[in-house]
Amino acid sequence: MTPPASQTDNPVSIHVSELRKSYGAVEAVRGINFEVRQGEIFGLIGPDGAGKTTTFQILAGVMEATSGTATIYNRAARAARQQTGYLTQTFSLYPDLTVAENIRYVGDLRLIPHAEIDERGSRYLKMFDIDRFTDRLAGRLSGGMKQKLALACALVAQPQVLLLDEPTTGVDPVSRREFWDTLAHLALDGLTILVATPYLDEAERCHRVALMYEGTIHQTGTPSELRRSLGAKRLEVHTSALGEAEDALSGHHEGILDVQRFGDRLDVMVPEPVAGQQQVELLLGAAGIPIDNIRVDEPALENTFVAKLRAIGRVVKSPKYPGQHPHRDLMGQVAIGASSLTRHFGAFTAVRDVSVDVKYGEIYGLLGANGAGKTTTIKMLCGLIEPSTGRMELAGERGSLRSRTVRQKLGYMSQKFSLYDDLTVGENLNFFGGVYGLSREEIETKKHWVLEFAGLEGKEAALTASLPGGWKQRVAFGAAIMHEPSVLFLDEPTSGVDPLARRAFWRMINQLADMGTAILVTTHYLEEAEQCNRLGFMVAGSIVAEGTPGGVKRAQTGHLIETVASEPQRAADLLRTEGERWRISLFGDRIHNVTDGDAETSMRETRATLAAAGIAVLEAREIPWSLEDVFISVVEKAKREERLAA
Amino acid sequence: MRRILAQARKELIQIRRDKLALTLALLLPVGLLLLLGTSISLSVTELPIVVQDLDNSSASRSLLDAFRQSITFHVVPWPVTKPPMAAFTANQARAALVIEHGFGRELARGGAGQVQILIDASDSNTAKLIQGYSTQIVAAWNRTAGGAQRLLPVKSHIRLWYNPGRVTKKFYGPGIFVLGLSMFPPLLAALAMSREGEQQTLLQVYVSSIPAHQFLLGKILAFMAIAAAEWSIMMTLLFTFFDLSFAGDPTPFLVASVLYAFCVSSYGTMLGAAIPSQAAAIQAVALGGFLLVFLLSGLIFPVENIPGGLRWLSNFVWGRYYMEIVRDALLEGGGWPAMWFNVVVIGIIGSVFFLLAWRKMRRMQLSI
Repeated sequence: MTPPASQTDNPVSIHVSELRKSYGAVEAVRGINFEVRQGEIFGLIGPDGAGKTTTFQILAGVMEATSGTATIYNRAARAARQQTGYLTQTFSLYPDLTVAENIRYVGDLRLIPHAEIDERGSRYLKMFDIDRFTDRLAGRLSGGMKQKLALACALVAQPQVLLLDEPTTGVDPVSRREFWDTLAHLALDGLTILVATPYLDEAERCHRVALMYEGTIHQTGTPSELRRSLGAKRLEVHTSALGEAEDALSGHHEGILDVQRFGDRLDVMVPEPVAGQQQVELLLGAAGIPIDNIRVDEPALENTFVAKLRAIGRVVKSPKYPGQHPHRDLMGQVAIGASSLTRHFGAFTAVRDVSVDVKYGEIYGLLGANGAGKTTTIKMLCGLIEPSTGRMELAGERGSLRSRTVRQKLGYMSQKFSLYDDLTVGENLNFFGGVYGLSREEIETKKHWVLEFAGLEGKEAALTASLPGGWKQRVAFGAAIMHEPSVLFLDEPTSGVDPLARRAFWRMINQLADMGTAILVTTHYLEEAEQCNRLGFMVAGSIVAEGTPGGVKRAQTGHLIETVASEPQRAADLLRTEGERWRISLFGDRIHNVTDGDAETSMRETRATLAAAGIAVLEAREIPWSLEDVFISVVEKAKREERLAA
Repeated sequence: MRRILAQARKELIQIRRDKLALTLALLLPVGLLLLLGTSISLSVTELPIVVQDLDNSSASRSLLDAFRQSITFHVVPWPVTKPPMAAFTANQARAALVIEHGFGRELARGGAGQVQILIDASDSNTAKLIQGYSTQIVAAWNRTAGGAQRLLPVKSHIRLWYNPGRVTKKFYGPGIFVLGLSMFPPLLAALAMSREGEQQTLLQVYVSSIPAHQFLLGKILAFMAIAAAEWSIMMTLLFTFFDLSFAGDPTPFLVASVLYAFCVSSYGTMLGAAIPSQAAAIQAVALGGFLLVFLLSGLIFPVENIPGGLRWLSNFVWGRYYMEIVRDALLEGGGWPAMWFNVVVIGIIGSVFFLLAWRKMRRMQLSI
């Protein structure tokens, strides 16, 4: 979105020029430049290892730059610490102090008078809706609440600049949306916000963003400028034969820039929509692949980032998996069959009557907010804990899910990679191969493949600890599937990797699925959810919605209305007072409104409400649902029904 | 000052929250003091000694009775047919007494009777004690039963001072008290400090622009409070169970205690600042707090016993100076004239630790 006109005249609050930082031989930041004006939300977008955290640490005054300058209101970052609020990735809270004690301590360190600490503390806790938990230990808060507390701690000192380093990591979509709404408010009050994130959907909510990769900023602009700069359109191609269609369109065909496979569609980038659509129809027709429908849309920020990475010559390979695929013939049969699983912990029911069927060859995504019961469900599905009631079938076994034969057929990759940091890459792979009883030759073949996939050919003697996150993640994935599991469990497999690596990951996962592997993914990143063939949404221990990504979007009874208004923030606040809070969210200058009634009526009502307050509606239209909107809508409706039932 | 107090308060809240650590911090010193203070004893009693009486005369039996009556030895009969060394290898005895055939007859003739004492010297210290005690027993027997009354040119009268009953726990109790204070407060301090690095909460502190010395003093103050609590508990034990009391002017001891609490808390904080990993910090504290103080401070072995090549090291061991002060206060009562130097040295070593910690932290930013 475009920054409000007034912002371009605002004073510069953060100025970074030719900033460099080296750790020994490694250059983490390689001469970056940017400026952020007062009241702006500026996003530093890039994968793990891009140099975002280093930049933040320099701006927060806790690390020295090797060269270059970083100033905050014309003072060196270190001297300006009293004006800076810094949220680290881990939130830097004391888990053994209560919410109030954490705030008090930070206030004391910054010499804020006690009366003001108390006043501001309770104001922000109230604003963030966590004032009920003042006496709870910070370590016992959920991810979303920790994030809010950390923000409250940073705001107690009334900073002029807020530095947020990946503030939404580990935070579920509902809390994430609330958090961004809060940021929009704070920015309107004149706070300058610099935020780092690896998630491109979050970038849409910044006024301006900079794409950062390997210590360099490659492009800066508003999200729409960045999208436009690509000079392309995105075709959403729906077909039943995704794998074949992807093969048919890939390779170098004229008029097709890029093809990406999702859970139930292909995204095809074309320079010109009409000619592009014809070309797609022609190519698929020639291969005898039926097309369900094609929809033209704007490119996503991710497409821009991918094009940028390709332009600088980054290549991520997804070599063919060298396996026997013993489960190929099982395709279509049930691999994970859960019927009416319920699990109690004492008086608490963590999971209630959950039924899931995942077939061989299918990618199933389990989505849910924190505390929705995802972890417990997964543990039951892979046989780690027994359900209190209900039946489980796993890889053809019903009784002993922990037997050797069943375990040999399972693969698991957790979000905190299960590699040994103090072993080399080769030793790790040898170890995992050995644990699963592979023969020497098999280990060698698989090792060769993992190294190629991770882009680490010839570097198997590198210590695992020394690898950047994205590389380690690919090695961990490789290690988890060395023994050719028939059923694969993945926990947020691609969080924090760059878009190209994420594609390689999903190409690999799709390849395994095409060969018959059953894959269950848990995540609360909706970018990952789009990649699944089927999704299940969990709320409060139950699955409340299930279907293909397109299916769950279509199944929404309501409509999603996008409104562009002259005073977006005031308009959003006003609309919120009219109905339920969650229905309104602000994406830069665009307001998203979820309505259960008729779209036209809703638009008319919105116009009337805003007009009464003197706010002009510049544009209003119905837009397709995003998975995030679906998620929030599903969660909120389920909560409401539960309240009604109670 | 406000920041220092805020820092100290935060540390104390954190310790209070960690119920296990708090319990251990207060109970372990008591356990250590009771266990080590009473179990360390270098005197020997009831040492098994095997006896082969080849003479079996009234004189030989009288000599055996002398051994039997001693509290040092416990006489174990041993068949004449088995070599006495077998008793050593079978771990049944530490020494053997062999009375030669004809011992009684020789004495009756006014000659010198022959007895042989074999000692298992693999434990050299015990061997030395056995040697001493057995020589004493034989000499005493000579004077009375042996009847060989000769004029002794020098007769010494020995009086034991400060600990007349030679009660070992009165000597080791204060030593273990020092060991406890050298181990637990720095352990907690090092853990708290390295945890800030490990959990990255340190970044928040850096951003707040609190100066390094205030941050460190706040932390050290909190752990001095912990040390004070442990000090009080252990002193109560020393006064009651160990039956000790102040021998003279306690002021040098009290001043030194405050300085020592500062010294060990600074030591822990310094290690925690230098080692941002809790597991490694524990080992470093254990090495300095336990090993150095246990071995090089005169806790068990006099400093003079340490081989010359290593003895100089003990000059840097903070526990050594405090140990001397504590023993002086509770046993000898030498007061300021005897102890002023030790008090000063503790203050200096503590300041060095503090300065090293400050040097590490002074920039209050990430070091790389």
